[in-house]
Amino acid sequence: MNHTHRKVTGTIDGRKFEAPHGATLLDTAKGLGLTIPTLCHHPGLPPDGNCRLCLVESGGRLLASCMYPLRSDGEAFLTASPLALEARAFVLRLLLARAPNDAYLLGLAGELGVGADPRLTDGADGCIRCGRCVRACRAAGSEAIALVGRGRERKVAGPFFEAPIDCVGCAACARACPTGHIAYSEEPRSIWGRDFDLEPCPLCGRPMGTPEELRRAGVENPVCPACRRREYSKSLMGLPEASFPAP
Amino acid sequence: MSVVDESLVGRILDSRPPEPRYLLPILQEIQAAFRHLPREALLAVAGRLKVPAARVFSVAGFYKALSFTPKGERLLTVCQGTACHLRGAGALVESLEKRLGLRMGQTSGDGRLGLESVNCLGACALAPVVTVDGDVHGHLTPEKAQELV
Ligand code: SF4
Ligand code: SF4
Ligand code: FES
Ligand code: FES
Repeated sequence: MNHTHRKVTGTIDGRKFEAPHGATLLDTAKGLGLTIPTLCHHPGLPPDGNCRLCLVESGGRLLASCMYPLRSDGEAFLTASPLALEARAFVLRLLLARAPNDAYLLGLAGELGVGADPRLTDGADGCIRCGRCVRACRAAGSEAIALVGRGRERKVAGPFFEAPIDCVGCAACARACPTGHIAYSEEPRSIWGRDFDLEPCPLCGRPMGTPEELRRAGVENPVCPACRRREYSKSLMGLPEASFPAP
Repeated sequence: MSVVDESLVGRILDSRPPEPRYLLPILQEIQAAFRHLPREALLAVAGRLKVPAARVFSVAGFYKALSFTPKGERLLTVCQGTACHLRGAGALVESLEKRLGLRMGQTSGDGRLGLESVNCLGACALAPVVTVDGDVHGHLTPEKAQELV
């Protein structure tokens, strides 16, 4: 793997880019200040490429930009060509069929002049099956929920369609959900039909997580992130706390 | 709640190394042994293979050959693939449902017989096709289908 310093060049919407070899098309477009709508993509989670909202055209082909690694020079991409827009409108219609009231989707639909197809919204529950919740849970260190079933039946669920037994109540899934489909409350903590305690930070007293969640993290004598940063800076520089801006 | 023969689950688990890649074959064996995947068995699989219960459940729910409720001792599957559909699978379904007093996907109350649909059995030349415990019966009419029961 000696590609680390290799650069790839090409154009997006006619604008030249130079990107590290293997960078995604989506990130590179963002770097140029271009906006490509995304839904299943989350910058902090492994990509999955399942929603197809981020389709972009290159020489008559459609590519999911969030999953497309730039590897060869001279490629030209179009984020708003007629083909790309048509594909995006099509995908949007399908997504709206799942989440007809989602503000983000409705905004995009307005821009593209797309309406939800009333014949499709039957059984819409606000979940677009993007799996961000499942990936967030796994990234957080559990795998308490999964996409279960096939086709239209597929949905996010805990084992046996019950409150997930391995859930620690961290709410990472709900925060990662783009449509707000997972009902939860931060404080007091309640999610997937269960209530959880919240452990206060021993230094500032603000809630820092559920006991189960802290155990999962495996940190001894945890303090909240803000206090940890403050303690760390103090220990590094030996300066009084007041000389640091509040976190 | 069904009573599960734990020693049978144990033997199935013991027959393979406790590694996640054996999840599917183990689920298939449990399905074959119990004609469904009992809850206790799924939890035992999760524990033994150290695979999260959510993943076990998701895999178990993905394959049509696996089920959470007991399947019939005898299984009638009606092909609903394109070729069979065009050649009258719909009429077969109707006739079998009426004859058995079951809807597609159901199992008779005594657990003797299950009725299911499947997508293309790869025997399109024989369409419409019904299998009885895996044996293929082709070129069926609604009348001939009733004789299979
Ligand atoms: S709240 Fe439960 S299901 Fe959601 S991410 Fe945390 S552990 Fe997973
Ligand atoms: S619950 Fe939210 S994050 Fe999970 S699949 Fe549905 S829309 Fe995506
Ligand atoms: S954002 Fe790229 S496929 Fe979903
Ligand atoms: S469609 Fe029935 S066997 Fe192919």
